[in-house]
Amino acid sequence: MSFDPALSPYLAVILIGFLPSEVWRWLSVLVAHRIDEDSEFFRFVRSVATALLVGVVLKIVATPARELAAVPIWARSGAFVFAAAAFFAFRRSVFAAILAGEALIVAGAWWWGR
Amino acid sequence: MNPEEDRRWFLAGARQAFAGPAWYVALSLMSTGALARAADMPPGAAMLATALIWAGPGQILFFGAIAAKTAPATIAFAVSLSSVRLLPMCLSVLPMLRGERSRRLTLLFASHFIAVTVWTESLRRLPEIDKARRPPFFFGFALACIGLTTLTSGLGYWLTAAVPAPLAAGLMMLSPIYFLAATARAARDGSDWLAIGAGAALAPLTQIFVGGGFDLMILALVGGGGAWLAGFYARRTAA
Repeated sequence: MSFDPALSPYLAVILIGFLPSEVWRWLSVLVAHRIDEDSEFFRFVRSVATALLVGVVLKIVATPARELAAVPIWARSGAFVFAAAAFFAFRRSVFAAILAGEALIVAGAWWWGR
Repeated sequence: MNPEEDRRWFLAGARQAFAGPAWYVALSLMSTGALARAADMPPGAAMLATALIWAGPGQILFFGAIAAKTAPATIAFAVSLSSVRLLPMCLSVLPMLRGERSRRLTLLFASHFIAVTVWTESLRRLPEIDKARRPPFFFGFALACIGLTTLTSGLGYWLTAAVPAPLAAGLMMLSPIYFLAATARAARDGSDWLAIGAGAALAPLTQIFVGGGFDLMILALVGGGGAWLAGFYARRTAA
């Protein structure tokens, strides 16, 4: 490929961002119409996607960029423990989990970033 | 199903998105605007990337690689690799949206919106909704999420630099916490919890022993597959 992404940004987004990412969605449509939502294969895929998501999230947190890197790993993990505690304490509330985890991270980033 | 009813469910979906999820994803992807700026790209490119790629890790990788002057073919490959996870995510949502009358084109359109936010919220909300009402609800929810995020990723071009460091760290942690909490919220049975636990337990192991871009695929197949198998035998014994 001979084009300069910085000179044709919109084309770059489409050719080397959108298309290589979207093929996986297209591929799924080819298969999806044969999958029943009560089938074992559907349950299997659901489990695979769930485990995958947890892996992706932990990877982001283990190898942080910029401002988040100022917060030590144990404090980042602590934010998850705190968030999980709030989640269950408030009857599986996503909002409570976010509030609790964020409070700890913002306070930690302020403390270690002084 | 009449159009009036469809509109009601479309709006209900949008309303539920604006009650939380749309804001979480919009705020966490605001940083892509700043990444576009660092890559010498216009704010419109950040907005187009959100509307078209609609997968956080892919977008971050895309702008980061362009800023680093990586070869286009390498960027395309890396973005594609980071989006393999969209396949199982789409496969675990689309069958819930498919009705007897639904066309392939509708599913194709629906698949574009599936990334973590819409996936995890769909897993939790769609099963509780009547099958015929799922598509309008889904599209209302998804369009609200992608619309708001497209706006914020453009705004991020100017705003991100003005955010104080502690808040910036908070924004970076927002999607990890939200994604985990929403996935836990969507968990319905033991095998869902097992999959979450297995993913967490295997993450450090695969990072060390597999690596090379394939660690997540191994993690998903071993951890998720194991969780499904455990559930399968549990259902068998119970039956």
